[in-house]
Parts: sequence; C-alpha cells; structure tokens
Amino acid sequence: MPPTLPDFSSSVKLKYVKLGYQYLVNHILTLTLIPVMAGILVEVLRLGPKEIVNLWNSLHFDLVQILCSSFLIIFIATVYFMSKPRSIYLVDYACYKPPVTCRVPFATFMEHSRLILSNNPKSVEFQMRILERSGLGEETCLPPAIHYIPPTPTMEAARGEAEIVIFSAMDSLFKKTGLKPKDIDILIVNCSLFSPTPSLSAMVINKYKLRSNIKSFNLSGMGCSAGLISIDLARDLLQVHPNSNAVVVSTEIITPNYYKGNERAMLLPNCLFRMGGAAILLSNRRSERWRAKYRLVHVVRTHKGADDKAYRCVFEEEDKEGKVGISLSKDLMAIAGEALKSNITTIGPLVLPASEQLLFLLTLIGRKIFNPKWKPYIPDFKQAFEHFCIHAGGRAVIDELQKNLQLSAEHVEASRMALHRFGNTSSSSLWYEMSYIEAKGRMKRGDRIWQIAFGSGFKCNSAVWKCNRTIKTPTDGPWADCIDRYPVHIPEVVKL
Amino acid sequence: MVPPEQDRLVYNIRLSSVGPGRVTGTDVVHELSGLDLAMKLHYLKGVYFFGSQAVEGLTITRMKEIMFFSLNDYYITSGRIKRSESGRPYIKCNDCGVRFVEGLCDKTIDEWLEMGDDSLDNLLVYHRAIGPELSFSPSVYLQVTWFKCGGISVGMSWAHILGDAFSASDFINSWGQYMAGLKLNGPLTLSKSVAKIEKPDDPTQLAKEPLSAKQVNPVGDLWVTANNCKMETFSFFLSKLQLLTLHVKICGEDGGKRISPFESVCAVIWQCIARVKEAYEPQIVTVCRKDPYHDINVPSNSQIISAVKANFSVTEADLNKLAMLLAEDQGLDERNKIEAAVEKENGVTDYIMYGTNLTFVNLEDAGLYELELKGHKPMFAYYSIQGVGDEGAVLFLPGPPSTESDGKERLVTITLPEDQLLKLKSELKRSGLLLATELE
Repeated sequence: MPPTLPDFSSSVKLKYVKLGYQYLVNHILTLTLIPVMAGILVEVLRLGPKEIVNLWNSLHFDLVQILCSSFLIIFIATVYFMSKPRSIYLVDYACYKPPVTCRVPFATFMEHSRLILSNNPKSVEFQMRILERSGLGEETCLPPAIHYIPPTPTMEAARGEAEIVIFSAMDSLFKKTGLKPKDIDILIVNCSLFSPTPSLSAMVINKYKLRSNIKSFNLSGMGCSAGLISIDLARDLLQVHPNSNAVVVSTEIITPNYYKGNERAMLLPNCLFRMGGAAILLSNRRSERWRAKYRLVHVVRTHKGADDKAYRCVFEEEDKEGKVGISLSKDLMAIAGEALKSNITTIGPLVLPASEQLLFLLTLIGRKIFNPKWKPYIPDFKQAFEHFCIHAGGRAVIDELQKNLQLSAEHVEASRMALHRFGNTSSSSLWYEMSYIEAKGRMKRGDRIWQIAFGSGFKCNSAVWKCNRTIKTPTDGPWADCIDRYPVHIPEVVKL
Repeated sequence: MVPPEQDRLVYNIRLSSVGPGRVTGTDVVHELSGLDLAMKLHYLKGVYFFGSQAVEGLTITRMKEIMFFSLNDYYITSGRIKRSESGRPYIKCNDCGVRFVEGLCDKTIDEWLEMGDDSLDNLLVYHRAIGPELSFSPSVYLQVTWFKCGGISVGMSWAHILGDAFSASDFINSWGQYMAGLKLNGPLTLSKSVAKIEKPDDPTQLAKEPLSAKQVNPVGDLWVTANNCKMETFSFFLSKLQLLTLHVKICGEDGGKRISPFESVCAVIWQCIARVKEAYEPQIVTVCRKDPYHDINVPSNSQIISAVKANFSVTEADLNKLAMLLAEDQGLDERNKIEAAVEKENGVTDYIMYGTNLTFVNLEDAGLYELELKGHKPMFAYYSIQGVGDEGAVLFLPGPPSTESDGKERLVTITLPEDQLLKLKSELKRSGLLLATELE
C-alpha cells in the first residue's frame, strides 16, 4: 500500500492553489480595476483642484454637443432597459400533502401485489426486490382507487384524485399568497398521463371561477420534466404580458396508470410513482419583488428525441396481453447521463464562474491540440450553486447524478429525503425538494438553486433560481410534521 | 359453506387494506405468549347490525379514515405473522393492515334476520384462515355490508392468536369511540408484552398436560382446526322469564347467590348434551370467563380458562350440583398449565382449546352492545367461534338492549357435530330452554 500521508499534504497545498486561482480569475475585473482607479486618484491628487478646473474649461463644450450626447445617453439607457427581459419572480408555491389514509407501507404494497399477481410469483419477487432498493419510505401515498384489490381505476376515480390533489394545492397557494382567483392571468397545468376532456386546466377554471380572458394551457404527455417546461412557458408568456400573474400546477395522476399486467419492465413505475402535486405562483409585477421567494434566472431545455434509442427508452405501450404500461429500457441511466451532459454543456457557460470556465476551456483546447488522452475536466458546479434539486426519479438517478456532478451527500439530501417521504411524484418532486431545503432553514438570500428534471422523450431540463430573501422555516407545508425526523439514513436494501 | 344461490345475497365485494396512519417503526415485533399460540387455530367472528339512523350520512371513506386512527393504538392487529428461526411464530408489526371488505345486500336487515339461517352470516363476515403464506395473511378482517333499508352490518373476523373475545370487542368498540370523537390519538406507545399470570403454581402441577387444551397433529402453515366431523352452529334466545324460571328450578326459592344465569343455563345444556351422547357423556368441561384484570388497551388472551370435572353421572345428576360445579370459584385455572405445555416445545407445536372438551364461554360482559355509531347501539350483535374442536362449544351472549321486559335477554350459540344437533334440539325442548316456536 503506498503511503497516503505525503499525498494528503500535497492535496492540501493543491487546494490552496486552487482557491487562489479561483479568487484571482473570478474577481479579475475588480482586481484590474482597483489599480487603475488608484492610479487615477493619485494623478488627480497630484494635479490639484485648480489644474482640474483648467482642464475642464479647455474642453470647449457648446450647447448642441451637450444636448446630443445627453440625448444619446438617455436613448441608449432606454433601449437597454426596454430590451432587458422582465424579471420573473416566484412569489410562493404550495405542495400537496396526501392524507394518512392514502398511506401505503411496504408490507401492504407487497401483499396487494401478491394477491393481484397471484399467477406470477416471479413478478412479485421482482417487485419486492425493486421496493427493497427503491429508497422509498413507509409513508408514501397512493390514491384511494389503487388501494383496492384489484385496483379500480375508473375515470371518475381519476378525476376525483385530480380534484383532491390540484384543489388542495391551489387552496394552499391562495392562502399563502393572498392571491385572488380573479387575479390569475395565466394558468398552466401539466399532468403527463391523465388527459381528460375538458382538460384539467378547464377543471381548475371551473372550480375557482377564473376570468374568461385567462390564458390557459394544459400540457400532457411530456413526462416528469414537464414541470420545468411549464415554468419555461410561463416565463415566455410573462415576457409578452406585462404586469401579470401566472399559476403553474404540476402533478401526476396515478389512478389511471396502474399497470395490471406482469411484464417486468413495466412494473417498475407501479413501485415508484406516488401521489403528489404542486401549485406555483409566478409574477412579473414589480410590486412582488419584495415578497417573492425566488427569481428565475435561467431555464435550459435539452431534447434528445432525435436519437432513436433515447426516444424509445421510456415508452408507453401494450404488453403481450394487451395491458397498457410504461416500459423502461435498460439503457435508461446511460441515456440520462448523455442528456445531462448535453444540458450541462449549455448551462455551464451561463452559470459557472469564470475560473471554472477558463479551466474547462484550457482542458478542452489541450485535449484537442495536445493530447486527446487528457481526462475531460468536469466543472465544479458546487461553485455555481448552493442547492441542488434533482428530480427524485429513483435512487439510481440520484446516485448517477451525484457521481457525475461530484456532489456531496448534503447536496443530494433534499432529493433523497423527498424520494423517501413522498416517492417519485413526477413533475412536482422538485417542489417537495425545495420545500425540504426551506424547512431545514438552509435557504438564504442570494443562494442559487439548480433544479434538474429528466423526462420521457428523452428530455433533460434545468432551471436556475436565485433566492430573493432569506426564508424563515415554514410552519406549514408538506414537511411541517416530519422535518425533525429527517435526514434519515436510507439503507441500501430494506429488509421487508 | 353456503349454497350457491344464497351466494349472491351479498354482492359487489370490494377488498382493500386499512393500516395505522402512523408509522409504527422498523423492526417492531410483538412476541406471542404460549397461551396466544395455543389459540392460534381458533378465530372469532362477530357481527353487528345497525339501523339506518345510526349510519345516516356516514360513508365508507369516513369509516376507513377513522379506522386508520383506531389502528394507531392497535398496530399489533395490522402486523403479519412470521416464524423465527426456531419455528416459533411472532408478529412483525409492519403496518400491513387489516383487510377491509365492502359489500351490498338487496334485503333489509329485518328480512335478513328473519331468514334465521345462521350459516348465512358467513356472508357478512369475510373470513379466511391464516396461511398457507403466514406473512401475507391478515389476522383481522372487517366487512361492512350495506342493506336495502340503509342500515349496515359490521362483520369482524378476528384471529384468536391476537386476543380473546373481550379484546376483540374492545378493539371494535375503540373504533366506535374514535368515530364519536370520544378518543384522540396519543403519542405512539409500544405496548409491552402482557405480564405472565400471577398465580404461583406448583411446579409438579405445571408439568402435567392441561385438561382444557390438547395438542393436535401438526397443521403446518395453514392454521385450520381439523375436525373429524362436520360442525354446525345454531342459536336461540332466552327470555327473562325463562331465565327466572330456570333459576328458581335450580336454586330453589331462596335464590342461590353463587349461581348466575350463565351457570344455570350451562348446567342444563351440559345435561342435555350428555343425554344426547349417552355412553360418551362429557365428564370434563371447560369454562371460559373474562379475567377481572383484563386490560382494555392491549389485546391479549387473558380470559380465565378453567377445567371442571364431574365425578358423577351427568345425565342423572341434580342440575343444582352441576351448576355449583360450574360456579366461578370452582374449577382449576389452567392458563399457566397451557402456557407451560406450549412453552415446553417452544411454541412450535399446535394446540386447540375450544372443543377439546365441551367448552362454555361466558361473553355476557364482553361489551357487545358498546359499539355505538352516532350514539346508536347495534340492533343486534353476536359472536361465534370458527375452528371449534369436536367436543363443541357453547357461547352465552347478551341479548339486544330492549325496553320490553321480556324478549331476548340472552343469546345462546351452540356449535356441535351436526349429527348430534338434531337430538340436542329435542332435548333442549324437553328441558324448556328451547321454545317450540324457535325450531324450524
């Protein structure tokens, strides 16, 4: 075994070198400006006030010149301010907390599976193994219709679930923000697998008696990353419509999508998907600047659908017996990694500090010109963000991202704990994770948050938020009654 | 079982599970005592009928919701049975839940009760024995059946391994109390196993096999009592007048204070059964009563099990003598003996208690009519035992609360091999217990 002690001391030295380098490059402008300013000040002091007045008089300004230059300055300033994109603020959001009566402990899930799939002990075994390693806890919830043996997924039950989830989240949002239903200008609802007529957005408009000139959208079929797609859409709309409020509702309705067959690749979603939903209020009104929680900085969307393998990796189809289910292919992780790389390549230059970008550029040039065998430099995203919200798609997704982005356990804690407490709630999981970070009191003013979501297609979408004001630990919200128990240690394999 | 055309009386059966609302915790285990294990082949079936006023505005969702809170206290009932490495069963409290069954019936409750066929009540209590997969078998089944008149029946199947009839009744009454808002969930307290019964027994006595429980052939993982003949149940009411007449007949005019209605009735039934069985008359009987120290919050098999031996011929005996034998302070309390016998083999052997001898169970104070919905007591409630051994069992139950001075004061349920039942009915008629009008 090679001695490790000398390496340690050298890595400490390296750490200081790195820190020094980062400080130098990130503040290069300030560092160059300071000597220049110092120089000018010394010159001015040396010259003395009388000399400066003489210098000023010698410049011979006349009225026309002064008027033109000031007009030019005002014109440029106006063009600049008008063309600047409007700031989009996230005023507040509310997550749906399912009642304890919907709770599904492991043992109940396994027993029901055993009774429903009685002809297929192998499938039951498979589900048991998935559940043991899933990273889910004993408090995740399924809608009432799925609690029956066998489940009774009628359209009425699906609507019932949609109503409970969406209306609870909206009521909670109204209470938190003081928003009046008549003040909603834009409504976007996203739910991937349940798309009735009239749409879920129409259902919301009907329930809350929203205005007749509301701009409503319903996104379906876009997978777990649809939440960020909705945010992107809301942002674009808020650029066009001044002084507006937009409400985004992200949810996934589980009732109609319980797979009743025994094809293994399709049984996975049954084990992981759980009830959940979130309602978010976005605004571009100046008045909201003071109470908004976050400001939207970037949204980056990457679509790998052009690649056939990526397109087919999450595919809804009929199995051999004609039962419809969502089939997950074996290369899901690899494809997710590829999509992430694509997304990072676009988002990196937007968010990374100059030091990281320079290093990346240098390694890139080095690889192209000098030696292709150099390891590609993975930029340190921990420099760009304080918090990470990785879509809780499953334990494997979080592990993969933690490895790829070299994140510590604390960075992915929000994702792991949201997966444990709520399961995979699809597009709303990002909001449960944000809520976790707030509940832990870690959200400070100026913190930058990166939300990453993957979805069928295959898509990788990111959103970058900046915290607008330090958020006090909330007394309500989905984590209010259990935050003290978290973080929990989640064993590799849970003994059922 | 039930004839096929009657099968469709209760339809639209939907199964689901209801567990504790609160997470009990990982690796919470409830150890089963020897007495619990001795009762594992027996099940209690209880039915409660409620009129429409009691359930007006009550939905199944609400009932289930309240059950979630009630089960926070009774998390043991929501666990599943596993075997340790030595083969001894224990309960893993994994919050799996009780099985909740919903059904519909096109008859009114009155029409149903008029049918008078006891076997039909199997349709109102969804019952499955524990096993063959122990860890996927619920110990408790609850069935709510909606009748045409708007009333309901609540059927409970309770595995005796969890506790005796008094515990089962406490469990369902607790649900009623939560419904009425009389109870609120407290913090989670994991109940310790019930303390061993206090009476210090003579070790030589303990070593002997108990009289009231016997070992049966190994049943493996399917916990069903093997009977050598088909067992049938029938029940009849006793009016206040009948009880009074009987009391006078047995105790004389001075009214022996030591003999309660339970003992008098059981004495008569004992003699009738002895007459039916002729040469094989039961000399030893088992009597089960409520333990005065019974803990209302923890389900347990704490009922007093005593063995009573008659050293004389039962068929010719004086009813007074028989009744005195059955009295409360007579008979050997066999609980410790049964416990010791089961523990000798570390709980791996299979025993039965009910039906080892002719068993009399006093459920007068089981609180059958304490389950209230919206302040209304049940119209009618009764319990029966599933898995009784060949010698049979007699249950003495309270009758429905009524304002009439006469009527249905007590209910007697008798489970015996079917070939003895007809002869027994005529014997009971002769003794005056069974009135002619009650026979079909």
